[in-house]
Amino acid sequence: MGYAAARGGLNAINNADHLLRTLRDCDPSEPLGADQLTGRLRLLVDRTMGEAGLWAPELAALAIRQAEGDITEAVHLLRSYKSTLPRLATAIPVHSNELSLLRRVVPAFREPGGPQILGRSSDYSARMLNVHESSVVPEIDPKETTPSTAPRPPVTRLMDTLRDMDLLVDRRNDSDPEPFDITRKPARPPAPRSARLSTMARAETGALINLWYRNILGPDGYLHEVTLGEVRHGELPIRVTHPHTGSAIKIGNFRISEVEAIEDLNGIDEDRTKFDVGIGICFGHNERKAIAMANLDIACHRDNGKTSLEQSILMTTDGLDSAGFLEHLKLPHYVTFRSMMERKMAMRRVSEEQVETKEPA
Amino acid sequence: MTVVSHREPTGVIAALSGSALHDEPAFTVLDEESKREIRRALLHAVCAPGYQVPFGSREMPVARGWGSGGLQITLAIIGSSDTVKVIDQGDDEGVNAVNLRRLVTASTGCEETTEVNEATVVQTRHRIPEDELTSQHTLVLQVPVPEPLRGIERDMRELSRMHAESDYSRMWVSLYEDKVRNGVITQTTGYPCLVNERYVIATTPIPRWDIPRLHNAEFLSLFGAGREKRVYAIPPHTVVEPLTFEDIPFEIEQNENTYCRLCGSNSSFLVQSPAQDDNWSCSDTAWCRARRTK
Amino acid sequence: MTGIFVPEPVVQVRNLGKVYGPFSDETISRTGSSFGSARDAVIGSIVAAWDISFDVQPGEALGIVGESGSGKSTVLRCIAGDVEATTGDIRLANVDEGKVNILDFDASRRRRLRIDQLSVVYQDPAEGLSLGITAGGNIADPLTAAGWRNYSAIRTRAKELLNRTEVPIDRIDDLVRTFSGGMRQRVQIARALANNPGVILLDEPTTGLDASVASGVLDLIRSLLEELNIAAIVVSHDFRVIEMLTERCLVMHHGRIVENTLTDQLLEDPQHPYSQELIAAART
Repeated sequence: MGYAAARGGLNAINNADHLLRTLRDCDPSEPLGADQLTGRLRLLVDRTMGEAGLWAPELAALAIRQAEGDITEAVHLLRSYKSTLPRLATAIPVHSNELSLLRRVVPAFREPGGPQILGRSSDYSARMLNVHESSVVPEIDPKETTPSTAPRPPVTRLMDTLRDMDLLVDRRNDSDPEPFDITRKPARPPAPRSARLSTMARAETGALINLWYRNILGPDGYLHEVTLGEVRHGELPIRVTHPHTGSAIKIGNFRISEVEAIEDLNGIDEDRTKFDVGIGICFGHNERKAIAMANLDIACHRDNGKTSLEQSILMTTDGLDSAGFLEHLKLPHYVTFRSMMERKMAMRRVSEEQVETKEPA
Repeated sequence: MTVVSHREPTGVIAALSGSALHDEPAFTVLDEESKREIRRALLHAVCAPGYQVPFGSREMPVARGWGSGGLQITLAIIGSSDTVKVIDQGDDEGVNAVNLRRLVTASTGCEETTEVNEATVVQTRHRIPEDELTSQHTLVLQVPVPEPLRGIERDMRELSRMHAESDYSRMWVSLYEDKVRNGVITQTTGYPCLVNERYVIATTPIPRWDIPRLHNAEFLSLFGAGREKRVYAIPPHTVVEPLTFEDIPFEIEQNENTYCRLCGSNSSFLVQSPAQDDNWSCSDTAWCRARRTK
Repeated sequence: MTGIFVPEPVVQVRNLGKVYGPFSDETISRTGSSFGSARDAVIGSIVAAWDISFDVQPGEALGIVGESGSGKSTVLRCIAGDVEATTGDIRLANVDEGKVNILDFDASRRRRLRIDQLSVVYQDPAEGLSLGITAGGNIADPLTAAGWRNYSAIRTRAKELLNRTEVPIDRIDDLVRTFSGGMRQRVQIARALANNPGVILLDEPTTGLDASVASGVLDLIRSLLEELNIAAIVVSHDFRVIEMLTERCLVMHHGRIVENTLTDQLLEDPQHPYSQELIAAART
């Protein structure tokens, strides 16, 4: 059967659709509730929302379920769903100082201003597979899962300390007043910082980490390792301007991972009395992505257009672009193939003619 | 962050979002504001033939690289009174073409056809239909890589400069080197062309066979690259010249002694099907079928 | 001086200067030949070249000589457009009739001058050639940039130029990477002459070549300069090159011109103390 049998195309894909759904939905195991995904696979949901650039935990759970766990596929479902929706409002900017902290680690100081909160992280757990872990959960004392309402001691960021000592490069400037909207305008080098940060915020996690790692260790690498100031996970409010009263109202919450980083400046053309700064922020709990992002933010700044690092960030870290283009190779290419064969024959004819006449072209 | 609604908009919210229209089709793939934005980008493209206009490419139900750009253009320009034809490699029944076609008809309510003379919009991957296209037609081409200079330069800033300054000398040098090394210019499909004597474009992977159809055409050609987020256009009656030296004629794929085993044609673009030596058939299946039924 | 026809210079340079870093009038007055340094000891900025003025007449070859760090290459690169000058006025007779300062042109217009008005031959041929392209292709580059669209005509012209620069014609389709240093330099010269520019700049054209190879290339350059009515600026630290190729030359020291005279006179009777040192050193 040819890939494109006459008049059978629609039947073929309807059948493929049907097969996909049937086998997925009729598996003998317990049906998967969306709440099970948001409740028990929270990191998968967070990562998917981060790469989709859409905060909607229930929708992300549906997408992961429909995509049978393929994150790239789930991200695609979320983003194309977003394409069908009208924009109602733009949220009022919020400072991450308002973060209601679930986790906070400050590698730069032993005793930073404010508490270090290990929080919910597997960083310190021994990575040993528990083969006997039962799926039946024992009774848990509600006090253990209810977050404390005791007021937290105030937190002083490493950045603020260094800024007060005039040790930080000031990266604020007037050339980038409004955040670049990468969903409405493609970002191309040279791009404003907000375009790079937005691109990284919804980049594919693996792509960003790989870009960082390759550049740290590779022979032609651009990057240096940073010192981390803050590594945080917490909740922020979403506020919009009320359409009738004009005042700011809170309509919900969302979570982010936030990383601040500094890098020691040592280049000939750099201000060696200061540290350069970088920020990494993404939806949900995804620390490795935020750390890579903060690193790459500084790297781009120091690179200042000398290499094509910015182009790599802007053009090669989106998961849908890379996966889609890769998989498009599965589409029929027989017209191109025919054209390639024809050129091979033409080249052959020319070299045969040359052999006959013994003359260069 | 932007706040989006994920329930069907009703009442006040519908009025606010401007989506309380009366003739809503079954489902939406692309919202109306986005379609307007795409049309504006297309207008820019038509005003500067061959110039790659950046646009805010939306994610579609088909993956990047699978026609999301062509689809956005078609959705932006098509209305319920239009008729769409969608082909892939010239074939209406290619599975990706079928998928794209059903998305267009179900989300816009337009008619579909396999016959060129009934169509108003023809969306295509890698071919121009053999039938004549007239001023009633708009041709929408799916573009995997819109940058014709990609083979000689990777840095986007330098590429932008080369187009802006019309500095295509490295392209000419690569054609010279190609001829020197291989005895012929070996570019296969997607042959680079100079449009309106100004911009060099990537003609998607259409075969050289189809290139002459672009020159001084009756129809409008719109090129959509969803992944790269650019559109470009060739308005009707525009000069389109394949890049070659004056004394090296542009060569299309020749059908030497090959004929379509179904309709006998030797004057259409033929592909091998199945992959045996003498099994050639027309890549344009609708054209071939029409010849057979005459 | 009545009755003597003074031709319009092909190149006219006035007050060309290049400073790296911030500077003030004091910076300028604290640097230069009499201060023994181009670097301002107070601020740290470098006055690589300052107050450079000269003319080049049609068919004339002007030399710029000095040690490394004298600023001679900086001057050449400012004229070429490879380095952005800090200040100055440069006019070319064939560009807007010599009435505009090319330093006011935007980058794209400066680049276009390099197609057929002004060519550069670099010390390292790799800087002026694409090593991954054939010899013919390197010549095709400026020709196609100037609008040549006929393949045979391009090849004919390329063969003509390779012949003139004594490169074996049967190597026209070889990648430049496969050529020796001396051959690469000849290809670079061929390419520089492709569109018959009015001005050619040569930056240490034979430094880095073996002595025997260098003398062949020098002979070639000399015969080309004689044959073509081209204005040339030759930068070199080597007096033999200056002597062989130029009629007039400038001596530069710590970014300033210290002497501007006929080449013969300089070699016989240098006036400035630094020139005298240089000549004395060259004679030993």
